[in-house]
Amino acid sequence: MRKTLLLGLLLAGAAQAQTTLTVITHDSFSLSKERVAQFERANNARVRFVKGGDAGELLNRLILTRRAPIADVVYGLDNSMLPRARAAGILEAYRSPALARVPAALRLDEGGLLNTVNSGLVALNYDRAAWAKTGLPLPRSLDDLKKPEYARLTVVTSPATSSPGLAFLLATVNHLGEEGAWAWWREARANGMKVVRGWSDAYYKEFSKNGGKYPIVLSYASSPAAEVYYADGYDPKKPPAQAPTANLFLPGSTFLQLEGVGILKGTKQPQLARRFVDFMLSEGVQADIPTRMWVYPAVSGTRLDPVFRFAEKPEVPPVKASVTANPQRLVDAWVTQVLRAR
Amino acid sequence: MTPPTRLGWLLALPPLLFLGLLLALPLARTLAEGGVNLAVWRDPYFLGRLSWTLGQAGVTALLALLVGAPLAYLLSRYAVPGKGLLLRLLLLPFVTPTLVAVLGLSALLGPQGWLSRPLGLDLEGTPALLVLGNLFFNLPVMVRLAYAGFSRVSPGLTGAARTLGASGVRAALTVALPLALPGLLAGAILVFLYSALSFGLPLALGGERYATLEVEIYTLTALQFRLSEASALIAGQLVLTLAATWAYVALRRGGTGVPASGLPPARGAAAVSLWSLVALVVLVCFGPLVAVVARGVLGTGGPTLGYWQGILTDPETPRLVGNTLRFGLLALTGAVVLGGLHALGAWRAGSRFLDLLSLLPLMVSPVSLAVGYLLAYPQFAATLPLLLAAYTLLGFPLVTRSLLPALRALPPRLTEAARTLGARPLDAHRTVTLPLTLPALRGGAALALATVLGEFGATLVLTRPEWATLSVGLYERLGRPGERNLGEACALATVLLLLAAGAFILLDGGEGEVT
Repeated sequence: MRKTLLLGLLLAGAAQAQTTLTVITHDSFSLSKERVAQFERANNARVRFVKGGDAGELLNRLILTRRAPIADVVYGLDNSMLPRARAAGILEAYRSPALARVPAALRLDEGGLLNTVNSGLVALNYDRAAWAKTGLPLPRSLDDLKKPEYARLTVVTSPATSSPGLAFLLATVNHLGEEGAWAWWREARANGMKVVRGWSDAYYKEFSKNGGKYPIVLSYASSPAAEVYYADGYDPKKPPAQAPTANLFLPGSTFLQLEGVGILKGTKQPQLARRFVDFMLSEGVQADIPTRMWVYPAVSGTRLDPVFRFAEKPEVPPVKASVTANPQRLVDAWVTQVLRAR
Repeated sequence: MTPPTRLGWLLALPPLLFLGLLLALPLARTLAEGGVNLAVWRDPYFLGRLSWTLGQAGVTALLALLVGAPLAYLLSRYAVPGKGLLLRLLLLPFVTPTLVAVLGLSALLGPQGWLSRPLGLDLEGTPALLVLGNLFFNLPVMVRLAYAGFSRVSPGLTGAARTLGASGVRAALTVALPLALPGLLAGAILVFLYSALSFGLPLALGGERYATLEVEIYTLTALQFRLSEASALIAGQLVLTLAATWAYVALRRGGTGVPASGLPPARGAAAVSLWSLVALVVLVCFGPLVAVVARGVLGTGGPTLGYWQGILTDPETPRLVGNTLRFGLLALTGAVVLGGLHALGAWRAGSRFLDLLSLLPLMVSPVSLAVGYLLAYPQFAATLPLLLAAYTLLGFPLVTRSLLPALRALPPRLTEAARTLGARPLDAHRTVTLPLTLPALRGGAALALATVLGEFGATLVLTRPEWATLSVGLYERLGRPGERNLGEACALATVLLLLAAGAFILLDGGEGEVT
């Protein structure tokens, strides 16, 4: 049955000229060439990937060009961006059948504006070696973290300019309420918590593991596994006892980020676009994702690289819907209430 | 026969058309999209950003003048071994990708930097790194421009002042300085402009606290999507920039002086100042580059070739290098044609306005252009022609800036003499104008090529993974955790520097002027 279907598709494809599907993604997107080639052969189409910038930039560009869309499919919008994408009307609903194998808690939108491809946890990490030198016990709550002895050891990224920063802001608002969150941020900043623009600045310039002086950094729960994977002389057969960094899951500091794939309104290839959405949730792609983008596949039962035992993934529920309803408003409030508050 | 003015404008037509399509129109589309919300200019926060932007640029220009001018003067008065080499090498920082400079500065002066740790320096929370970064890029510009200015002042003049009893310092201040002053001021204004408008450096080194206007424009446009506020900042910045650019074009004088021969070697106090200034400039301008190269061969456990092995065995690397060269050479072709025509046009027309226009691509905020391209040419988004056009836009001003002074320095009667001797107009240009200006053209081409090699294209246009260049590879490694990524990024940066240096060795005879 499937063979005839495939044959039919091939014949149908051969009859017309090869079509091109344009897929716009965030800059961290990475997928093996063989998988893409498989998709192209199976559909007699060419896939053209376009880099749309960091996650927030990607959404802004799509909204900016909604009258003359620059792609057919978008991958990389997440749960903090879905409300704006929905309001701007840039997405065409398509619920992939494969979504049935994604746990309900991880689904972005039952209507199918975005189909969840992967999930990740934005989380605080700490540098084990540098932490041991401080002689301090680890902080146990956000309340601890804002105290001078901990705040001055912490670097996070700005919610206004980075997606992990926005995730962290949403987590704090979810946990402390808006007023509580502004008070927390103001106090933590006054006590020495550093806020930098982007993830690379925080991780490669400020984090003590990489030459900075802050042993606590805002990153992802999978970063310790990546540290093992990219360490000098890593041998999968002889993994180290522990990663050089570890997660610090304080209540209210962790954000479950769900990234999805969706079809852009105005596409001239709706059928092909749908097949690409299904493809992103297929077994092969799901298994390929973890060590390429350092996130967890959304489809249950997908095999993970053993290095992921150095990452942890506690059950963190997504933040309340009211918190992600209008992240832009929260960012504006953060800018005036925290950043520019004198 | 066509009068020279009209011929000049005719020659400048293609570059003007190009500027209209790739600069004016997209910029207008950006401003029109959001409307211009001038209320922003009453917001104390943005006024603060403005004064900081001007302040840090002013401090940079002043420091560059204080270090660059005396050094240039001493270099122009004394025989200094390796002078030519130093002046040539000073072009390298100018074409260094911002990201590479940031890596180098952080390795040296970051919290656990190789210099800051033994010296007990803590630059955290200060704008020192940003100003040093500005100096890294701009001190070379200042030294080279000031050197050109001083070498137009005959050593005989200061010599005469000394014979009449003036001390060396007094002769420099009362004779050489006033004569070279317009050139020095032009250099300082250029440094000011570059520092006020640079984007990558304050983005990476300024943090939230020392963000400049350009960074705010980026944040408002790309991340916060507040286009009307961004448009007001873009418009305000453009007005200021145009005023400063006008002052610069009015002040600078064409042509390099002929370096005097038979200069005496420096002795005593002059030698001490000369060599300490050279040491200072070498430290600021080459220290970060050396640090990046070193970081690429030093792992946490000591020297290692692992990072180099990593990039050499990565199947992606040949493509990165291939793309970098391919785009660089294609954009170079466009830059030489358009830049050459623009320079010829501005020269024949004798137009200061055309001169000013050629500086515009260096002055307009790249982020606002990026938005404009998406709005004006959505059908070209992520296409090769737009990518190459954007690269060309970045490179062609450098060709014009290099060629124009050489054209203006041509003795006006020379081609006429050739014609009197029987040469046809085109032959006269081929046999007289071209050979005399070729070194400047080659220098400009080298600068353009090296700039394009290091450019991170995504700031201007949407790119595709298969177009990844060395800068993109470098940037992607810095986006992933793990020490191997940082080490490999530094190794790739070294490759990029070698390519830029190679561009100079191949193309330039050391004549390129960044003016």
